[in-house]
Amino acid sequence: MATQTAIANRPKQDLAVEQQIQKLRQIYADAPEMGRVALEKIMGELEAAVYSQLKASTAGRIGLRQGKVSELTAIVKFTSGGAKRLRALLNVLGNNFQGADKVGTLHDMRFVFLDNDTKLLFATAYDGDWDPYIDDFATKIPDALDVLFCDAEGYPGMHSPAVRDWIAGNQITADAWYVASPNLTVAETKRLEKVGGAVEEFLDKIG
Amino acid sequence: MSTATALKPSLSTAPERNQSAEKMVQQLREIFADAPELGKKALENVLREIKEQVSEAPPPPIESAGRVGARLGKRSELTIIVPLAPGGAKRLRAFLRLLGGNLNKGDKVGSLHDMRFVFFDSDTRLLFATSFDGDWDPYIDDFVTSIPDYLDIIDSAWDGWPGIRHPGAKDYLARHQITAEGWYVAHPDLTVAEIHRLKRIGKALEEFLDKVG
Repeated sequence: MATQTAIANRPKQDLAVEQQIQKLRQIYADAPEMGRVALEKIMGELEAAVYSQLKASTAGRIGLRQGKVSELTAIVKFTSGGAKRLRALLNVLGNNFQGADKVGTLHDMRFVFLDNDTKLLFATAYDGDWDPYIDDFATKIPDALDVLFCDAEGYPGMHSPAVRDWIAGNQITADAWYVASPNLTVAETKRLEKVGGAVEEFLDKIG
Repeated sequence: MSTATALKPSLSTAPERNQSAEKMVQQLREIFADAPELGKKALENVLREIKEQVSEAPPPPIESAGRVGARLGKRSELTIIVPLAPGGAKRLRAFLRLLGGNLNKGDKVGSLHDMRFVFFDSDTRLLFATSFDGDWDPYIDDFVTSIPDYLDIIDSAWDGWPGIRHPGAKDYLARHQITAEGWYVAHPDLTVAEIHRLKRIGKALEEFLDKVG
């Protein structure tokens, strides 16, 4: 049934893709020449990509998800003196983010200072949906988060019921999101690491 | 993983580590002396934990990814913020939307873990953030040789971009990159290639066990 519908819709879909591609060409008509030329070069690939309809999905309340891995990107204002304190804190901590290991759903995380230390960019790649991810942080390492974000303007504290709205209010959903291994969670990667080690040991023993 | 942890204590003696933990705690208290009340309280709650961590096993330090950016183990971060040319945001958004926000061409860049494009400040600026293997220079080269056309389409929206084949291209990128002050990676010793290898091993093992079982 589903297949039949797909076949019946095919000409309609072709038309829609053609229209989309045509529209993109129009939008790129006033692009710098290098952009226009490159667009024509990849037109075939682009059409194929549009047909395949492998779209990034939503991570729930906000953010994009690719397979099992989602992105969170937030930009917040520092309180006065806040950047200085957070920089000093990060310097002392080095990469002592064992709290993040404890959460267990975090692939990577960065703190970047913007616009002459007036703003903080916080960007992570994590497993699954937004709500359980935030829950995880709030229940496992609320104090560590309060230490890190107490100098962000308006931060209500991880124990406050307002914290979710505050995070979502400062988060900006990416327009595109790529993950090399979208089906591997942090836990599955860890498991594979163990399997790899065990297989090597096994081969050593019989070799 | 367990081997690495087991090896670490031999690098420094226990008294040395305790001393550095004490020093770190003291430094943190000084830094937070005039922090908001919420931060100060939370710091006291985590201090004991941090102290234990430091005396346990000193983690590998964050290093430079080469010309610009931070690296932890084998994993580096690239965070670039560029001003968009007039009309650039509209074009690039249309392009990314057509792809459904899915950039699977990134597979061609064998050193790329993840990558995002984020528009902000009313579409006047673009954040381009990636996580990758190794050093900055070979990584940029990898991008340029693997997906030059995609780069041209994306970068043609950037204000002042000289073109990827221009000798000034790398200077432009480095000038707009901001090194992260904090950088965490769950598996700092796994490259993209190693993860692919582990995936194959995992699959082979399953097949093997199926046959035996």
